[in-house]
Amino acid sequence: MEPGDAARLGLGRAARALPPRLLLLPLLPLLLGRGLRTAAAASSSGAAAEDSSAMEELATEKEAEESHRQDSVSLLTFILLLTLTILTIWLFKHRRVRFLHETGLAMIYGLIVGVILRYGTPATSGHDKSLSCTQEDRAFSTLLVNVSGKFFEYTLKGEISPGKINSVEQNDMLRKVTFDPEVFFNILLPPIIFHAGYSLKKRHFFRNLGSILAYAFLGTAVSCFIIGNLMYGVVKLMKIVGQLSDKFYYTDCLFFGAIISATDPVTVLAIFNELHADVDLYALLFGESVLNDAVAIVLSSSIVAYQPAGLNTHAFDAAAFFKSVGIFLGIFSGSFTMGAVTGVVTALVTKFTKLHCFPLLETALFFLMSWSTFLLAEACGFTGVVAVLFCGITQAHYTYNNLSVESRSRTKQLFEVLHFLAENFIFSYMGLALFTFQKHVFSPVFIIGAFVAIFLGRAAHIYPLSFFLNLGRRHKIGWNFQHMMMFSGLRGAMAFALAIRDTASYARQMMFTTTLLIVFFTVWIIGGGTTPMLSWLNIRVGVDPDQDPPPNNDSFQVLQGDGPDSATGNRTKQESAWLFRLWYSFDHNYLKPILTHSGPPLTTTLPAWCGLLARCLTSPQVYDNQEPLREEDSDFILTEGDLTLTYGDSTVTANGSSGSHTASTSLEGGRRTKSSSEEVLERDLGMGDQKVSSRGTRLVFPLDDNA
Amino acid sequence: MERQRRFLSEKDEYQFQHQGAVELLVFNFLLILTILTIWLFKNHRFRFLHETGGAMVYGLIMGLILRYATAPTDIESGTVYDCGKLAFSPSTLLINITDQVYEYKYKREISQHNINPHLGNAILEKMTFDPEIFFNVLLPPIIFHAGYSLKKRHFFQNLGSILTYAFLGTAISCIVIGLIMYGFVKAMVYAGQLKNGDFHFTDCLFFGSLMSATDPVTVLAIFHELHVDPDLYTLLFGESVLNDAVAIVLTYSISIYSPKENPNAFDAAAFFQSVGNFLGIFAGSFAMGSAYAVVTALLTKFTKLCEFPMLETGLFFLLSWSAFLSAEAAGLTGIVAVLFCGVTQAHYTYNNLSLDSKMRTKQLFEFMNFLAENVIFCYMGLALFTFQNHIFNALFILGAFLAIFVARACNIYPLSFLLNLGRKHKIPWNFQHMMMFSGLRGAIAFALAIRDTESQPKQMMFSTTLLLVFFTVWVFGGGTTPMLTWLQIRVGVDLDEDLKERPSSHQEANNLEKSTTKTESAWLFRMWYGFDHKYLKPILTHSGPPLTTTLPEWCGPISRLLTSPQAYGEQLKEDDAECIVNQDELAMNYQEQAASPCSPPTRLGLDQKAAPQTPGKENIYEGDLGLGGYELKLEQTPGQSQLN
Repeated sequence: MEPGDAARLGLGRAARALPPRLLLLPLLPLLLGRGLRTAAAASSSGAAAEDSSAMEELATEKEAEESHRQDSVSLLTFILLLTLTILTIWLFKHRRVRFLHETGLAMIYGLIVGVILRYGTPATSGHDKSLSCTQEDRAFSTLLVNVSGKFFEYTLKGEISPGKINSVEQNDMLRKVTFDPEVFFNILLPPIIFHAGYSLKKRHFFRNLGSILAYAFLGTAVSCFIIGNLMYGVVKLMKIVGQLSDKFYYTDCLFFGAIISATDPVTVLAIFNELHADVDLYALLFGESVLNDAVAIVLSSSIVAYQPAGLNTHAFDAAAFFKSVGIFLGIFSGSFTMGAVTGVVTALVTKFTKLHCFPLLETALFFLMSWSTFLLAEACGFTGVVAVLFCGITQAHYTYNNLSVESRSRTKQLFEVLHFLAENFIFSYMGLALFTFQKHVFSPVFIIGAFVAIFLGRAAHIYPLSFFLNLGRRHKIGWNFQHMMMFSGLRGAMAFALAIRDTASYARQMMFTTTLLIVFFTVWIIGGGTTPMLSWLNIRVGVDPDQDPPPNNDSFQVLQGDGPDSATGNRTKQESAWLFRLWYSFDHNYLKPILTHSGPPLTTTLPAWCGLLARCLTSPQVYDNQEPLREEDSDFILTEGDLTLTYGDSTVTANGSSGSHTASTSLEGGRRTKSSSEEVLERDLGMGDQKVSSRGTRLVFPLDDNA
Repeated sequence: MERQRRFLSEKDEYQFQHQGAVELLVFNFLLILTILTIWLFKNHRFRFLHETGGAMVYGLIMGLILRYATAPTDIESGTVYDCGKLAFSPSTLLINITDQVYEYKYKREISQHNINPHLGNAILEKMTFDPEIFFNVLLPPIIFHAGYSLKKRHFFQNLGSILTYAFLGTAISCIVIGLIMYGFVKAMVYAGQLKNGDFHFTDCLFFGSLMSATDPVTVLAIFHELHVDPDLYTLLFGESVLNDAVAIVLTYSISIYSPKENPNAFDAAAFFQSVGNFLGIFAGSFAMGSAYAVVTALLTKFTKLCEFPMLETGLFFLLSWSAFLSAEAAGLTGIVAVLFCGVTQAHYTYNNLSLDSKMRTKQLFEFMNFLAENVIFCYMGLALFTFQNHIFNALFILGAFLAIFVARACNIYPLSFLLNLGRKHKIPWNFQHMMMFSGLRGAIAFALAIRDTESQPKQMMFSTTLLLVFFTVWVFGGGTTPMLTWLQIRVGVDLDEDLKERPSSHQEANNLEKSTTKTESAWLFRMWYGFDHKYLKPILTHSGPPLTTTLPEWCGPISRLLTSPQAYGEQLKEDDAECIVNQDELAMNYQEQAASPCSPPTRLGLDQKAAPQTPGKENIYEGDLGLGGYELKLEQTPGQSQLN
């Protein structure tokens, strides 16, 4: 203890100085307990060591420079991979080859580079020394090391399981191309998820909201449990066979179930989009996969947080279980609120300032606010990615309508590019990780078990839920749709990111390896099989809302096959239950007018006593088109503009606006008769919406129709 | 037990990350505030405070709050042990803490007196970025955007003057500042404020070179808004952009100047090594940047990538970024590479992009530039309070202020005088005064100064730089509008208006321009133009004469291969095509959509005009130098007005 004290004394100044928590430490002493030199010696080491230290300094500087250079090289590798991917994809798109999506391709290139890096680069010896420290019992994020009078700062990179120490350092290049897993959560996933939320097609999404939520929440829970249980069986089997070399608990199995439940059918969706597959199917799949991710993230983090109190840390404990459920609900609703609130704030800011005169400022504000959501949620201990998702949805629903036309396309394009780059980056990293990740645990039984489990989990998720949903839905989810949804259970970026986040223990490493293989398999095989599957299942293609109006009209005809408008109305009413009806009217009567320039003026919808407030919040534009009947159309215009923009079709926009103009006039005539508020309310639920749109399209394109 | 420990460290890590979020959030919040304030200002047409100035003000306020309103937290347990075993600092450290091995990565060296940088205030520590972030993340988009938005025609018209100001001017200003500062340092030593031998002449020169990077964003923004004379705009903008590149490389070469024996004495070998270094790095970065841009141009030309604007934009972005990374990986200067990459991309690739991608890339980089710039200025404000090793020395600061004015004067006036000897279209006195006045310092000077704050002289330089930036941005930036009126510089002559306005003075202007351009662009530039127009443009873009006509016979197959089908289609039209491209680019710069729809009819008109011109080779030659562009433009405008 004596030397320790001396050190404390001598370096007291330095010690005081270190910012708290984050740092500290110094440590290090060595392989033996007596290694602490006295502080006096340390601080006075200056003069004598000057010469050599100058040399050392140079050496370290060079090393730092070298490391920077290597960082550049590794980033460059990825960028060149992406460039290659882009070029190849262009070729594929150009030739209309559909069996391989860009993400699949990115993985292939990643694999190739991974092989080269693994086997083509010489193993370098790291300059590592293992020092043991008896003083500290925890790790610190920053380490100050005093090497003969010089202080060096080190940052914590990760924990290494004892068995791996020797294998860690062999290849510098391999280490360089391995990223900190948090990069995925903090940099790459947010733009992907935000873009997904921002481009959810609103009308179709809301029409199928009930089913989507059921699939996303119930479905994910079901699939998580089924996969978890199956895997537990597999693990037990492995134990019997003697293939398991380390612990694997039931919670681990559940964790695996949670991460692998995050489906990510980008590949399938891209093909749907290109072929204009049925919009309802598209909305179901897309909505499910987006919400799925959010649920799976929160679910996996609450499973991790499951810590039974007793001695046996892996027995079932009701208290801990409910605590986990509580955590799930808390995090989910917290993130949801956070995202929605920032979305609302952005909407208010863009509504009440005239920021739209300066599209650049507007875009920047939009971007910063959306990013703040992420940071805010992370800072409060919620899940940033989930918050960003709901922020995206809110932004699309409200803020988007307040933006200037230029900002709309700017924000869309900006997030599109970010999304594209981030997604392909993740997929090429996946390919790379198969070879560069050094702690793979391939267990054939586990892998086969996992493949069986995910298919069973998917089946147990889709078919029963669809059955129940069909009881409630008038517009049934057809068998072919169900098969297609079953088929589209691809795994992607989210499962990978969740799996790579923690690869410290044996169980987690095995999961990571298995996840990687599952992603490869599903993206290549299932992604490649989408087009044949579509034709085999007789799913209509070429019906997209933006292939625009004419086909759209057809699709309505088909949808409404048995009974036209009235049936549609019933259907929608049926599906959107009481809660949603309430929400719609609330949204239309209060939220839309408060947050955007559309909707009826608040002065008419709010009770008389808050007249002042209402006048404050209503934008002047709304007064201009006072007639309470018109705002629905303006709402519709916005929606339509939105949809067209989603598809990046500029020609449609003109049509859309002129069309809705005609629509509005006719509608005014049609509606004037129905002034009772009840009816207006009902109309709003979706039937009104749908009617407007179908009518709008009919009115707009009579020529196309007749021709 | 083991599990619990893991938990603890996980928690620690969690907190660590969470702190990162808070710190970024503060910046986000500041930027949002800045944006809103700027909107207010713009809305009310206040011009005395630019957004960067606003960002600095908010940064200052936040820094003040952070510094004085947060309680210094106590350290839980900070003990510095030292390690007898380590003779050097390895890049990776494995630490075994009670059987749990942790991996640590080398971050940087901290000099001894900096070891307690933040007096135990964790927040201040967190708010300090690693200076390399500026060079690797924030500056590249700014610089690329600058290169990408250099207005080509005016830029090339004034190329000679711009290069002179940028290279010679920066060298002069670096030396003048260095000498003056050396004088002041001597005075400080005399006055007992500084120990002898602390502050070498190389340090002074280092300060001089980092102070030579001017960055008149504020002034340029006002010029842009008021549509100041395009020549003045181009001179200032071009100078400031190239300036940065020169200053960065110069700083680097000075910092590696290390004579063998006496570090203070002059050593010819070391000096020439530094000069060689300067040239090598500059040329290397230039080559790297343009090579990537050429690759991009070829890719976009020979693939039909323009069917998918998103892919195109992605490719463009990635390749431009690769230019930066390759340069860094090769030991060159990434920022300089990015700058020239931007210029080349604008010159060639831009013409191959689809319309949608043109918009997208412009907007993307504009957006990134905006954010990065404001983050830097915000950080500057913050750094005044959160950086803990400030050394404010009144004498040094005073000297620096004096030095930069004198150096700016030595840079502008003599060089303008010399240039005026050669230029027909003189740089008038009021322009010179304005350029003298616009010697603002900004992001680059700051980034260069913060890169190394280990030693005391460097810290003193950093504090001084910070103050200089504040002063110049606020005072000069705010004084631009009065200065413009006082110097009677024409405002309201936007390029577009310029075109409409000129036809009246067409004849004289034309003659004048012709001779001016000829004199200014010397033999070398004329050569370059011919080469560019006959070989590079046809190879890299869809415009220009087909290569089959310009290349000698024997390389027929290659030329057929390289010429795009479009070029054959419009044998005679290429000039106009180029001009049209030019024009809608310019129009896009000004975000005026009105100009674009009118091109097809004008093109027809131009055909007839251009046809007789083509036969005479000499004519084309000259025409290309700038005159041709001019003439075509002028022809075009009547058509436009007819349309309108």
